[in-house]
Amino acid sequence: MVQPLLDNNELEQLLARCAGKDPAALESLYARVSAQLLAVVMHILRRRDLAEDILQEVFIRIWQQAGQYDQLRGRPLAWMISIARYRAIDLLRGQRRVVSLVEEELPEELIAADDAPIEESTRTQRALKDCLKVLSVSQQRCLALAYQEGLSHEGVAASMQQPLGTVKSWIRRALQSLRRCLES
Amino acid sequence: MNYERGDVIEMLAAEYVLGTLRGPARRRFERLWATTAAADAARIRWEDRLAALALQLKPIQPRDEVWNRIRDAIAADIRGALADDTRAGIGARRRKVRWLPLAAAAALLGFAVWLGPRWLTRPEPTVALTVLGADPAHAQWRVERSADAHRLRVVTVAALASNPANAYELWALPRDGKPPVSLGLLPRRGEIARALTERQSAALLAAGKLAVSIEPPDGSPTGAPTGPVVMVGTI
Repeated sequence: MVQPLLDNNELEQLLARCAGKDPAALESLYARVSAQLLAVVMHILRRRDLAEDILQEVFIRIWQQAGQYDQLRGRPLAWMISIARYRAIDLLRGQRRVVSLVEEELPEELIAADDAPIEESTRTQRALKDCLKVLSVSQQRCLALAYQEGLSHEGVAASMQQPLGTVKSWIRRALQSLRRCLES
Repeated sequence: MNYERGDVIEMLAAEYVLGTLRGPARRRFERLWATTAAADAARIRWEDRLAALALQLKPIQPRDEVWNRIRDAIAADIRGALADDTRAGIGARRRKVRWLPLAAAAALLGFAVWLGPRWLTRPEPTVALTVLGADPAHAQWRVERSADAHRLRVVTVAALASNPANAYELWALPRDGKPPVSLGLLPRRGEIARALTERQSAALLAAGKLAVSIEPPDGSPTGAPTGPVVMVGTI
């Protein structure tokens, strides 16, 4: 299956049609973003059945709340990604992963491809990619573990085999550097 | 001082979006962005920035049955739309009946006579206007009007803790840039239905957006929003 290119205008038009209760628009939206959103949720929850349940909830929420998406923000994909991530993180709080974080092996389907999975769609996102390069490798790793895998400070520390305080300050400084870089 | 506070909010927003802000601190920040425009804007900035990390992940195709379940759910949603309107009306009347015993019945009667047709509590067919919330994922109020725009109905989606220090006030923002017109205070729980004055009704029909501001307990003393505008919904 060819990965469709994600275009913000197109996504916004689809959201507008969902707000008008057009099921074909939701189907098109699903075809474009469901695999990316499932990846986001799978990385955090590590279980396909749970992740697909969340994906279902997320799309029903998108259907119901498409009318509230604010076009002025111009960030349809970030909006949908946030809905999916917060729901997955909330679920994680309820049922902590039992597997040891250090030894846990990634399911094969979670191992990242070499090529960029989808087109980056906004200037902010392209800028972030450049700004990530100014961070140390450890800082980049911390951000990825927290954001992509949904790990807490403690989880990141365990995964990187570093003291908690060190990891907390790496993350804080990484975010401050990113902010400076993105605002410059 | 403000600059420092801005920095604190910025870093809280960053750790909230990153996911490392957990437990009570996460809940506290959720309350902050729901009520503070600066915190809300900082959260949105970081969501946009960090989304690039989500786009680095290799997509995983969901199984076909996931779409089938979603399709069935939204088909039911479309079919149930009319039935829902009816059920919501019955539910609202039932809830009201539970409130009636106690001395409230007498008070309600006096209140109704005093207010006459300005305030009615019976739900009726309405036109959905907008859903207000700090964020699309966190709806706070659903606002509807009667077909003739003489009546307004507001349903609280998520109940708010009572706070005697302030009130949320609803405003119609006219498309032609004229000043906002107050549509009254918003409930913290449950739902309200009220009759609108001619001026309010005209403002509502001319409005492109509705906004919510934080005001003193009795509402804005000036007739214009005096506190921060915390939510805006497009009609």
